[in-house]
Formats: sequence, structure tokens, C-alpha cells
Amino acid sequence: MIASFDALEILLALGLTVTALACLFDRHLVRACCFFVAFALAMTLAWWQLGAPWLAAVELLLGAVLTGLCFFYALGRFFPGVSSSLERDSFNEPWSRSFARLLLALAWFVMVGAAIRYVITDMVYSPDEQPLLLAGVMITASALGAFALHRHLLRRLLAFNILGSGVFMLLAGVAGTSASAQALITVGLCIAWLGSMLGALLIRQLLHLEGVDALGRDGNPKENAT
Amino acid sequence: MIWRFGLFESTFAPLVSTHWALCIALGFPFLMGLLAALFPPKRMWPVALACLPVLASGWVLLSAYDQAGLLRWQWDVAGVSLSLRLNGLSVLLLLTTQWIGVAAALYTPGSLRLSEPQPLSRWLWPLMGVLLSALSLIWLASDLLTLYVALELMGLSAVGMLLLSGKVAALLAGMRYLLLALVGSLAYLLGVALILGHWGRLDLQGLAAVVEPGPVAWIAAALIGAGLALKAALFPMHGWLSPVHGNAWTPVSALHAALVIKASLFMLLQLWSILLPDTFYAPRVIALLGMLAIVWGGLLAWRTDSLKTLVASSTVAQLGYLMVVFPLLLGPDIAPLPRALAWEGFWLQLIGHAFAKAAMFMAAGNLILATGESTLKGLAGTSRRLPLSLLIFGVASVTLMGLPPSSGFTAKWLLLEAMLISQQWWAVAALLTGTLLTAAYVFRMFRYSFDDSAPRHHYQPLAPGMDLIALSLALTAFGLGLLAHFTLALMRGGGV
Repeated sequence: MIASFDALEILLALGLTVTALACLFDRHLVRACCFFVAFALAMTLAWWQLGAPWLAAVELLLGAVLTGLCFFYALGRFFPGVSSSLERDSFNEPWSRSFARLLLALAWFVMVGAAIRYVITDMVYSPDEQPLLLAGVMITASALGAFALHRHLLRRLLAFNILGSGVFMLLAGVAGTSASAQALITVGLCIAWLGSMLGALLIRQLLHLEGVDALGRDGNPKENAT
Repeated sequence: MIWRFGLFESTFAPLVSTHWALCIALGFPFLMGLLAALFPPKRMWPVALACLPVLASGWVLLSAYDQAGLLRWQWDVAGVSLSLRLNGLSVLLLLTTQWIGVAAALYTPGSLRLSEPQPLSRWLWPLMGVLLSALSLIWLASDLLTLYVALELMGLSAVGMLLLSGKVAALLAGMRYLLLALVGSLAYLLGVALILGHWGRLDLQGLAAVVEPGPVAWIAAALIGAGLALKAALFPMHGWLSPVHGNAWTPVSALHAALVIKASLFMLLQLWSILLPDTFYAPRVIALLGMLAIVWGGLLAWRTDSLKTLVASSTVAQLGYLMVVFPLLLGPDIAPLPRALAWEGFWLQLIGHAFAKAAMFMAAGNLILATGESTLKGLAGTSRRLPLSLLIFGVASVTLMGLPPSSGFTAKWLLLEAMLISQQWWAVAALLTGTLLTAAYVFRMFRYSFDDSAPRHHYQPLAPGMDLIALSLALTAFGLGLLAHFTLALMRGGGV
């Protein structure tokens, strides 16, 4: 029984990581958004598996349905004729920048991993295997790297959502699914949804005013030194 | 440090009238904002009428604190405990928020009427209401969950308000701010997760008792610090600030620079005083960045051509003064006297800057609205035609420069005394450099405005009261220096 449980968890963790990576790095924007919905569904299953049905319901409603709708709205799938819709974006970043972002993601990975290692060893129970926690660390690291790497606004919004889910997964892994942790995660999910909605509205408005070019550059190119 | 934030048991339970005042202070701005979205006010008097209960609630809370000392509220909702506390500092910051919020709300109808009609302008009211409610909640909250909720509400409503002007530049800057603010709050949340996992509780009072220095506290403090510093536009992460202010409406800029940024700083200091008491390096790093902020922000404000960028960059520099004080507040081996002086100077500087910066943004908004130009060169000739707006700008800059008898002077006097006693000469040097740079960029702005050789162009007349509101804010910032004993008595925490 326990072995099958573990296998299911490992499968879920793998599914989460793969869909997250696909969503973050697929060049085709519509496909990336589809992967995001798949990721949110996998998160729902993961919450169910962790024994938090309330969070599973919230994730299904806010994460998969409503946030997914926000992204497809931003892509212009609902009113195709109104203004130009988005198809794909291209990576034309210099190698130095990509390398710096990779280093950043790795440093983040090491820091969060170390912190969690410390917290977990100090806790009373000793978890042998926590595949979902590992998946959370992986997802946050790659999402942070993607957030720093991409300039396309929709991609950054996607990366933020994945980053958020990774952080919630870490929170649940580190602090368990106590009432306080569930409250924190619920608030976080609501905020992520509100933020995505605001971002989707903004992206549509920018497309309407400026065309597709406006999304590629994040603000003024001069100010992007950071 | 912990007792200064009021994280201890209270002697008296709050009275019924105090409960009502609390409900009104927290909920009324939001309700009035919704009402104003349905029926947008065109004149000043309905707004003034709606603001009266809020101001009255602040007054009741002040007198309640005066009589009973620290007050606490605690609720258990579905196994989650939420708690609020009201100490002298929270009363002071609450009153600051309410007065500046009311001033911004009163300023708004005139400013909206004079600028070109905007389709989204009615949404300003509910967002402003949510912002003021969330800010009031931040000053009072004493557990990490309530703080998180309030921080997020404040951040999202602030982003929404900044976007309302609808120009492309505003949208791009706002999108960037939105993404950075959201990622900042995730960093905060991860820090909270570590705290919850390690110590298993979220209430600040309980955490203050159980937290001990170690890798978990350090990493949690680093994550929380990074997230909040991003939201507070502390020095290396200030890049989003100027573009955001450049295109926003005047009352929005005033509220944002005066209060929103300060709320993140308040949370940062409060949480670090719990997680990192008496550490050596972290406050030093903040102070070093603060010195760079003073110089860099001053230089940016000195070199810029746009009036709003000048005011926004001066915020970066003024935040630097607050960052420089961190070692005195959190560092080890600081004697009680300099620590108390630094504490009082810190909050007096913060509150004085809030009033002065709100007044300055309103004065700058008035000048831009009247002349129709947003550059410094466009100010030529305003000394004759718009002397009152320039006077307000001047009175506000007296506070920023720290000339006597403004609150900026009193605050810097207290800070200098603390730095001299604890022999932090580099901080003294930073303070003096900052004053010189402030004088440099303020006088540069005045030099343009006294240029009489410019051709005369048409000036848009301002709505009545727009100058008076800004003037009253500037005079409050000025007068706080003379009446500093009231604020200092409240800040000392113990008895009045």
C-alpha cells in the first residue's frame, strides 16, 4: 500500500516538473498555456494527495480554470478578430545573459535546498522520501530562472504563476498542511489569480495600443541593466 | 526592540467604542470607495463628509491608547489565529495614513475634473479605499498571515491605481511593477514558510519569544528582506519607481510615495527585529546600500529633466536616510540612549517625509497641470504666475532638506545625536552629503522657475482647494518639527 502511494507521488512529482518545464520553455505560446493548465491540474492532484481537499478545490477553480482563462484571454483566443493574436515568441538573447540567469537559478536552487534541508532535519518526523518537495525546489528554481530570462510579458506572467505554485508546494512540504499553512496558500492562490487577471488585462490593452512589439521589451531597454 | 513594536501582553481589554472605532478605521475607507465607484463625487464636500467618520475613528483610537495603553485583539477563525495590536507607533502611523489619505481623496475630484476625461477614473475610488484599509491593517497586524493579506491587498490596489492613466508608458511601467511586486511577495511567502515550518507559529509575539539565531532565521530574514526591499524600492531595487510615478495621476503618486513604500519598510524593520536581533552584518549591508542610495538618488534627482522624476528620485534618496539608521536600531552593542534616539528619529523622519512628499507631489502635479509641461524647463516663469504652488514645493523641500524648524530637522538632529554618541562617522557623512545634494536639486528646480525670460503661455487655472490641501500637508510636515514632543511621546511606547 505504502509503496503504491510513493509511486503515485513520484509520478505526480515527475508530471509536475515536466509540465512546468514545458510551460516555461516552449516557444509556442498557446501550447505553453495548455501546459500551464495541465500543470495546474497536476497541482490539484498533488494537493489531494497531500490531504488538503480544500486546497485542491481552490487550485482547480482559481489555478486551472480562472487563471487558464486569463491566459487564453491574453492570447486573444476569445475575440480573434478584435486585435492581433499571439502565436509564438523567440529567444534572441545573448549567451552571456542566458548564462548569468542560469547561474542565478542555480544559486537559488542551492540556497532553497539548503534551507529546506535544515528545516526538515530539525523537524520531529523524518521524511525518507519527499518527491513533491523536491519537485517544488526544482520548479521554483527553473521558474525563477525563466522569469529572469524571458522578456516577453506573457512568459513572465506564466513564469510567475509557476513560481507561485512551486512556492506553495514548498510551503506545504516544509510546514505541512496545517490550518495556518492552508490559509496562507489560499491567500496566495487568490493573489496569484488577481495578479494574473490584472496582467492579462494589461497585456490585452498593450496589444490594442501598441501591437505585438510592445510585449517583447519589458519597459525601456535602457533600464534593463538589472 | 520587541517591546517598542508593542509585542507584549496588554493590561486592559479594549472597550466597545474602541471595537467600533477599529471596525470603522479598517472597513470604512473600503466601503466609501465602493460607494464612490457607484456615484463618483464631482465636488469636494461629499468626499469630506465621507472622510469624517474615518478621522473620528482615528481620534477615538488615539484617546483609547492614551487611556489604556497597549490594546490587543485576537480572533480564532477555523483554527487560524489572527491578531491585531494598537501601540503608540501604530496609532501614529494610522493617523498619518488617515490624514494623508483624506488629503489625497479631497484633492482627487478637482484633479480629475481638470484633466481630460478618463473612462477608468471611477475605479480610482474603490482602489484608493482598499489601499487605505490595507495600510491601516498593516500598521495594526501582529501575525504573519494578516500582514501577508494586507501587504498583497495594498500591492495589488497600488498597481491598479498606477495603471489608471492608461498611457502606454504607464502600462509598461505598471506591468513591470506588478510582476516585481508579485515575485517580491512570493519571496516573502517563502520566508514565512520557513518560519512556519521551523517554529510552527505565525503570531509575532510568540515568534519573538521562540526565535533563536541560526541558519533558518538568517535565510528566512534574507528572503523576507529581499521581497520587502523590492516592494519598498530600497536602493539597488529602485529602478521601477521613477517610470511608475512618471505617468501616474497626482493623488496616486502622492499616496504611493508617502505611504505604500513606507509600509514595506515598516514590515521589514519589524520582522528583522524579531528574526535578526543584535546581528552585525545584515544591518550594515542595508546601511551601506542606504549611503549609496542617498548619493545615487540625489544625483538622479539633480540630473533629471522631468519634474516628476525629480520628486520620485528624491524618494530613493530619502529612503536612504532611513536605511542608514538600521545598524543603530538592530546592531549589537548599541547603548540604550542612542538606540532610543535613533528609534525616534527614524519614525519622525518617516512621517515627516510622508507628509512632505505627498505635498511635493501635489505641488508638482499642480504645476504640471497649470503649465501643461512636465519638464523643468517648462517651469520658466511660474514664479510670477503660480507663486503658491512654488511656495508649497518650497515648504515641502525645507522638510526634505532638514532645515529648522521642520520635522526633517528634528529627525535628523535626533539621528545625528545617536550617530555621534555611537561614533558612526560614516553615517554622519552620509547624512550631511544627502542634505547638500537635496539642496542642490531643489535649488536647481527653483532656478528654472525664476527664469523670467521665457515667453508667456496660457496657464490652466486650478480648482479651488487643490493648493490649500497641498499647503496644509506641507505645513503639517513643517509643524511636526515644532510639535515633535507629541509624536515622540507616542513613539516612546511606554506611557505618554
